[in-house]
Formats: sequence, C-alpha cells, structure tokens
Amino acid sequence: MALGDSRSKTDQVKPKDQFDLLHDERVRSVVYQLLTAAVVGWVGWYLFTTTAHNLEMRGMDSGFGFLGFEAGFDPAFRLVAYEVGVGTYGDIFLIGILNTLYISFLSIIAMTLVGFSVGVLRLSNNWLVAKVALAYVEIFRNTPLLIQVIFWYTGIFSLLPQIRNSLDLSAGAEVVLLNNRGLYLPWPVPGDLLWMTGLALGIAIILAVLFRRWAHKRQDITGQLIPTLIPGAALIVFLPGIVYWMTGSPLGWEIPELEGFNFAGGATLPPAFLALFVALTIYHSAHLAESVRAGILSVGPGQSDAAMAIGLRKNRLMSLVIIPQAMPAIVPPMISLWMNVVKNSSLAIAIGYPDLVAVFMQTSLNQAGHAIEIVGMTMAFYMFVSLTISWLLNIYNKRVQLVER
Amino acid sequence: MAIVKTENTPARAAPLTERSIIGWMSKNLFSSVFNSILTIVTLYVIYITVKDLWVWGIGDAVWIAETRRECFTISIDGACWAGVIAWFDNIFYGRYPREELWRINLGAILLFIWMAPLWLPRVKAKVFIAVTTVFLYPFLAGYLFAGGDKGIFMQVMITAAIVCLVANTLHSIIGVSNGTSLPGLVLRLLGKNNAPEKSQRIILFSILLVCFIVVYLWQMSWSAQGVSWTKWGGLFLTFVIAGVGIASALPGGIVLALGRRSKLPVIRVLSTAFIELFRSVPLITVLFMATTMFPLFMPEGFILNKLTQVIIAVCLFNACYMAETVRAGLQAIPRGQFEGAHTIGLGYWGTMGLVVMPQALKHMIPNIVGTFIGLLKDTTLVSIIGLFDILGMLRSVSRDTPWIGLHKEPLIFGAILFFLICFAMSKYSRHLEVKLSTGHKK
Repeated sequence: MALGDSRSKTDQVKPKDQFDLLHDERVRSVVYQLLTAAVVGWVGWYLFTTTAHNLEMRGMDSGFGFLGFEAGFDPAFRLVAYEVGVGTYGDIFLIGILNTLYISFLSIIAMTLVGFSVGVLRLSNNWLVAKVALAYVEIFRNTPLLIQVIFWYTGIFSLLPQIRNSLDLSAGAEVVLLNNRGLYLPWPVPGDLLWMTGLALGIAIILAVLFRRWAHKRQDITGQLIPTLIPGAALIVFLPGIVYWMTGSPLGWEIPELEGFNFAGGATLPPAFLALFVALTIYHSAHLAESVRAGILSVGPGQSDAAMAIGLRKNRLMSLVIIPQAMPAIVPPMISLWMNVVKNSSLAIAIGYPDLVAVFMQTSLNQAGHAIEIVGMTMAFYMFVSLTISWLLNIYNKRVQLVER
Repeated sequence: MAIVKTENTPARAAPLTERSIIGWMSKNLFSSVFNSILTIVTLYVIYITVKDLWVWGIGDAVWIAETRRECFTISIDGACWAGVIAWFDNIFYGRYPREELWRINLGAILLFIWMAPLWLPRVKAKVFIAVTTVFLYPFLAGYLFAGGDKGIFMQVMITAAIVCLVANTLHSIIGVSNGTSLPGLVLRLLGKNNAPEKSQRIILFSILLVCFIVVYLWQMSWSAQGVSWTKWGGLFLTFVIAGVGIASALPGGIVLALGRRSKLPVIRVLSTAFIELFRSVPLITVLFMATTMFPLFMPEGFILNKLTQVIIAVCLFNACYMAETVRAGLQAIPRGQFEGAHTIGLGYWGTMGLVVMPQALKHMIPNIVGTFIGLLKDTTLVSIIGLFDILGMLRSVSRDTPWIGLHKEPLIFGAILFFLICFAMSKYSRHLEVKLSTGHKK
C-alpha cells in the first residue's frame, strides 16, 4: 500500500540517535493530554468547592429528598391522577415528562405526515403547487419558532369564541367543539366485550402479514403478481368490524356536554396545547419538507429512466425504485428533527402548557430551590431521550448499510 | 441536375407549446385533468388567503390612531398597525435612553464601515479585517453601548479598535482606488519602498505606535454616559446577543470540532462529552441553568449580571452546534489533502489551518450560515427568562395601557422582520456557495 510505504520512509528519514524531548510526538501527546485533564480537573474542583461553599453560606441543603415533599400546585393539564396537597415534586416531575412526551409524540406524527406531503408537493410538476409549497417552507422556516408559538396562542387559540358560541368542527353533530377554553372531543368508553374486537383486529393484522409474505414468495417463484394491499386492508377492516357488530357494538362515546359554564365529559385539550401542537407541526414540517425534497432529488434521474425502460408505471416507479433509495437520505435528518420536536416542545413555557421545563424547571425550582438537582434531572431526561433517538438512528443506519452492500 | 441550396434555411420557430404563455401554462399548470383541478383548487385557496390577509392587513387596516379603542372605532375588522408604529422605537431599541440612541446607530454604522471592505473585490488582507472585526469591534461597540467608566484595559482596547478601524478604512480606500495596500503606500510616500524589509517593518511599526499614542491621548478626553444593561432591549439587544454568539460560535466550534477529531483520547472524550451534553438539551434549559446555577458557581461577592449569564449560555450552546457543522465539513475532506499537507512538511496546525480548515469551512458555508440563522432565531428565547429582546418588546405592546390586548400585529411585524433577515442570509449563503466553489462540480 502506498500509505504504508510513505510512512516507513519518513521513519527512516527521522534521525534516530537524537531523542528530542520537545519535538517527540508521543511525549507531546502525553503532555497535552495531562495538561488538558489537569485544567479540566482544576475547573471542576474549583466549581465544586465554590458551589459547596455557596450552598453552605446560604443554608441550602442538597440531595433529592425534596422529591418527596408536597408540591402544592396543580399543573393545568395532566395525563395521570394528581391531587393538590398530596402530590409531591416527584409526581410533578412525572407529569412534566408525560406532558412533554405526549405533545412531542402527537407533533412528531403530524409533522412527519405534513412534512412528507409538502416535500413531495415541492417537486410537483404543477408550477403553482410547487411554488405554494416553497412559500410554505420558506415562510415557516425563516421565522422563529417562539414567535410562531406565541402567535398561535395569543393570536388564534385565545381569541376563539366563548364557550356558549363554540365552533362545531363536526358539522352540526356538536361532538367536536372548539372554543377559547380548548378543543373538546368525545372520548371512547370501552364496554365488556370490546376485547373480542381487539383480538379480531390482532388476528386480522397477523393474517394480512402472512398473506403478504405468501404473495411475495409466490411472486418470487412464479412471477405472478398478487395484489395484497386491498385484500389485506379489507381483512383488517371487516374482520374486527363483523366481530364488533356481532358482540353488540361494545364501545360507548362520552360526548362533551355543556354544564353550567363549562363542558363536562369527553376529552379536553387546552388552547396552549393546541397552539404548541400546531406551531411545532408547521415549523418542523417545513424543515422536514426540505429534507424529503433533497432525499428524492438525491436519487439520480438515471434511476427513473431505467425503471421506465423496464416498463414500470409511475406509481410502481415511486414505490419500488425512488422511495427505497431516497429513504436512507431522508431518515437521518428526519430523526434528528424528531429530536428537535422533543427539545422545542420546551417552548411550552412561554404559553403556559405544563411541560417538564415549565412545571419542574420553573415552578418547582422557584418553590423548592434545589437548582442543581432540578436542572440536572431535567437535562438528564432530555439527554436520555436524545440518546434513545440516536440509538434508533444507529440501528437504522446499520440496517440500511447492510442492504446497500 | 444538382440542387444546391445557397442559403441556410431559416430555423423554424419553436412550437407554440414551447414559447407562448399559453404553452407554458398548458405544460406547467394544466398538463392533465388532475393537474388542472389541482391548479384551480390552489388558485382558489390562494385567492381566499390573500384576499383575507389583504383586507385585514392593508385594506381595512388602521395606521394612525392613539389607542386600540380608536383603531376599533375606525375599523373593527382591520389590523391596528398604529400600535406597532407607536412602539417602533421600543421594538428596535428597547428602553435605551432616547437622547443616546445615536450611540446604537453609530455602533451599527461603524460595524458596516468595518466590514464593508470584505465585499470589495480589490481590497487585500481581508482575513485581517475579518479577524479584527471579531476581536476588536466588540470592545469599541461594547463601550459605545454601555458607556460609563473606562478601565485601563478598555482604554487600550478602544484605542486599538479605533486605530484598526481607521487603518482598515484607509487601506480599503487605497485598495479600491489603485490596488495597493496601506503599508505599501506609506512606504512609497516616504520613499522607502526599496529599503530592506527589516527597516520597512521598523518604520511601519513606529508609525503605528505614534498613531496608537495619539489616539490613546485623544480618547482619554471623552467618555460616554453609562447606560445600564437593564435599559438595553428590542432588536438591538437581540443583535447584541446573536452577534456575540455568532462571533464566538465559529472559533469555539472550530476548537471543539478539532478536539473531537483529535487523536489524543483525553481531549477527544472531553470535547465529545461537552458537545453532546449541550446538543442534547433544549436551549431554554441551558438558559435556566445559566440563571439559576451560575450564581452558585461564582465565588462570593462576584455577581454576573443576567445579560452576561445569557450571553455565556448562548455562546456555549452555539459553539457546540457549530462544532458539529465544522466536523461534518472536516469529514468531507478527502484523506489525500491531509497526506499532501504532510508531504510538503506541514505539521498539525499547518495542515489544519492552511489546507484542511479553509476547504472544510468553504464547503460548509451554507450550513454555517444555517447555524447562524438558527442562532438568531433562538435568541428570541431570552425573552422567556425576562430579558426584553425584540420578542419581549413585541409582547409588551399588548400590556401597554393604550394598546392593551394587541397581540397579533406586533408578532406579525416581528415575524416579517425575522423573515427578511433570515431569508436574505440564506439566499446570500447560496450565492456565496456558488461564488466560492472552485470546480469540484461535475
């Protein structure tokens, strides 16, 4: 190898007899590393001792005992039971994490769908549609997310009609209602025999997957193409549907009803949630659209030419040639955008959606002190999520690489 | 009989579908039934949106009014831009004393004068100009904005900045007018342009020293009135924080990126941990950390003000993001470049500084500018922890008694402002990318 040769030659050129302490690479590297470690260690030690001294001077205790103390405030929105006067800071931490994950999860799903659609529209051969998609991307990418969040909250969702004049999103049925207190949705109430429908759904999905595998195998052997999409979908819809009907429709819906000054029953999403959800979705979908577009463009034109030459129709061309090759270029930026959604959901604090940062890092920290512990715990949560996501990304990258070789 | 054509047949005109507007439309808008429906639906949606926005934002909008109530009496459905106009100064300058606003404007003009030569083609030594912008301008501007008592250190830095600014400007004027440099012209005027290099250096250095002393003595005679940082605000404060962030993110990011790619395990592990720590948490948690934990880290009696805490947090955070951008650029440099640099006898810093880094940075210009844009947008987060940056000011409009409840208009104004800045930056980076690309393209 050329590289090995050049190395051994430089070794020969080097004078061996005089050992220069100042210019020897190994000595230098050890010295540099020791110096760095010493400086970092000293800074760490200095910060530790000053902090300990400061805590002592201010009579502040440290440790995680405060997590068992009563928190004494009620987060405006929560997914688990919590009672003011009983709930602890530990409970608040949990509520915050769940709220953060809840809004992140929903926003991630929505932003992925919207982002892919806009990304494909960016490449539409319809000039007008492509330009509209471009305008969407540029406008929402180039304005700060925080301004968007606050705009949706103060400018849209807080200015909706009062409860009495709620907007009816279900076209007259009065089950999905939107007003300045939030979005009111019917909530499913499972009956006794609902498990049978669930079981049927599971069986249908397994059958559909098996059918698909069988069809693929058959295609490999005989070359016969058996459509799987429509029969599979029909199976998944009708089998549980029949079981549901036969067991006497065991699913009730709790519908929001106006009681006094507010709605009771059903599920409620507060305006802050809606504003944050819309803003996160739009902002990140604009970023995703650019990744999707770049990914699709990264598949060379020769690929679609070749696919058309062997007679693939346009939809098969997309699903069999373009998309499988574009995905490896789309997925890594998409997953890091998912991570950004989780991180940016912390902007909730500006509009009062009780996410982790708002309830724990702000309210709890102001009440209970313990800055170091609270900041550490919050950061640890985000780091945990980030590590999990990058772990998923690594798995994906490995799989894609194996397919490539 | 031979048929010989003596003239060229004139080229036939392109078919109608290729050249007329109708042809263009049939190709790009109505190529199929589905496309035609799509076009019409899109046109309708655009019409509705634009019409509503036009009526609200311009048609029925109120531009001159004293209060929001007055806006309503003039037009109930239109935007009340009068509130934004009344708050113009606040949105741009915060609560900076009104009679001192010239200092902010002067600071902006000086920055423009300092950096303008970077865009002039014939000026030499642009790296020097850029480096002095990053390292000297902040001191001059900082004193201009904050004022107050000049310490001896600040006096030296201000003097250096002024000398540099004047020298840069003269140098650029000379460069544009006759293509030489300031030192070259000075030596020629003195008739020493053929003197040995050493004596040339001595002459130039002594001139510089004299200038330095003169400016130092001059600057002792004036001082600016102190303006507390609590009065800073609006777009000005956003630019200060983002500016310091941008100026420190690139050097910090380069150091961290080199550390992460270093062969020395201790340095590599420390850099990686530092980068990953800051990249995996939201900026707002870093800001909270800065405001709640920094006071605990400081020795007794030493108090950082909130602005400094925020700026430190923003710098750390963005250096880590920039580090990853720079690292991606470094990874794109082929090994041959490193080997080539070694072959001609360059050491680590020579390889990195002269061969690898210039290519990597050039390669990553769009991403670097992208990071800067992200930084500028993220700066709005400081309003959450109580600084009155532009977003803080925009939100204050709705709490001002005459304009109570005016939310939408200020926010839209801010969004348009940010859009113009960020969009221009990203377009300019695309332009730079094309201009600087030195033929790696197919």
